[in-house]
Amino acid sequence: MKIDNSLPLEYSTEENSLKILGFWIFLGAEIMLFATLFATYFTLENRTGSGPTGAEIFQITPVLFETLLLLTSSFTVGLGIHAMRIGNKKAMISFFSITLLLGLAFLGVEVFEFVTYVHEGATLQTSAFTAALLTTLGTHGAHVTLGFFWGLFIILQVKKRGLTPQTTNKAFIFSLYWHFLDVVWIFIFSFIYLKGMM
Amino acid sequence: MNQLFPMKQVLGFVFSLLLTTVALAVYFLDMSFAAGMTILLVTAFIQAGLQLVVFMHAGETKDKGAIYTNVFYGLIIALVTVFGTLLAMIWDM
Repeated sequence: MKIDNSLPLEYSTEENSLKILGFWIFLGAEIMLFATLFATYFTLENRTGSGPTGAEIFQITPVLFETLLLLTSSFTVGLGIHAMRIGNKKAMISFFSITLLLGLAFLGVEVFEFVTYVHEGATLQTSAFTAALLTTLGTHGAHVTLGFFWGLFIILQVKKRGLTPQTTNKAFIFSLYWHFLDVVWIFIFSFIYLKGMM
Repeated sequence: MNQLFPMKQVLGFVFSLLLTTVALAVYFLDMSFAAGMTILLVTAFIQAGLQLVVFMHAGETKDKGAIYTNVFYGLIIALVTVFGTLLAMIWDM
């Protein structure tokens, strides 16, 4: 294994660089996945049948909380990677833990939001609009849930094994995933919620 | 303590909060659909680019070319999917 010390630890071997590139290719496919969901949503957003419309069920407060939580968590995971690069394991674990707590809070608000929708009569089966809406939001939420457990295991492994070319590589790839989820949320925030409430 | 909060990332975060505030104008202010959509499109894409460059370190290594090519490829497919669907299903062209 050839270690190049001029690069950050997570890039230090050829295999590490390839894993990061490979993950970017996966994210390219994820962009397309969410594009199909957005295309479906834009097609069906006015097909509300006898169910509620977006303007009737969207509320700005939970959406603002979700946006701030996810934006901040994207910032803290970035700080975690920075701490990792300067070799500060303790700070890295703290920043990653804050990130996951913010992610958990985001999921809490989203579950609350979904429960509210169901109480207002907007379930997955109500109309084409609610089906497309809940599928899009749910796919993003499922990604965040997966990311939460992924991040948890990364923290445990860094705690146990320290900052090695392997663990830093995994942590960096996790950070890419987490930032990507924030990017998707920005589009949900802008083109589902704000557009719907405009 | 300061070295844990690099200027670039702090500024990136402040700027992303700013973009969110600008996007919120479409909710709080009264404006036409076209004006609102323009604001949202501009803020959302700047915000996405910011994440990519500042937080995801997209342009940092020798794989820069491959990473950007791949992201733009994904983006083009995404835009063709979304606008192609809108053309056929909504705008009736």
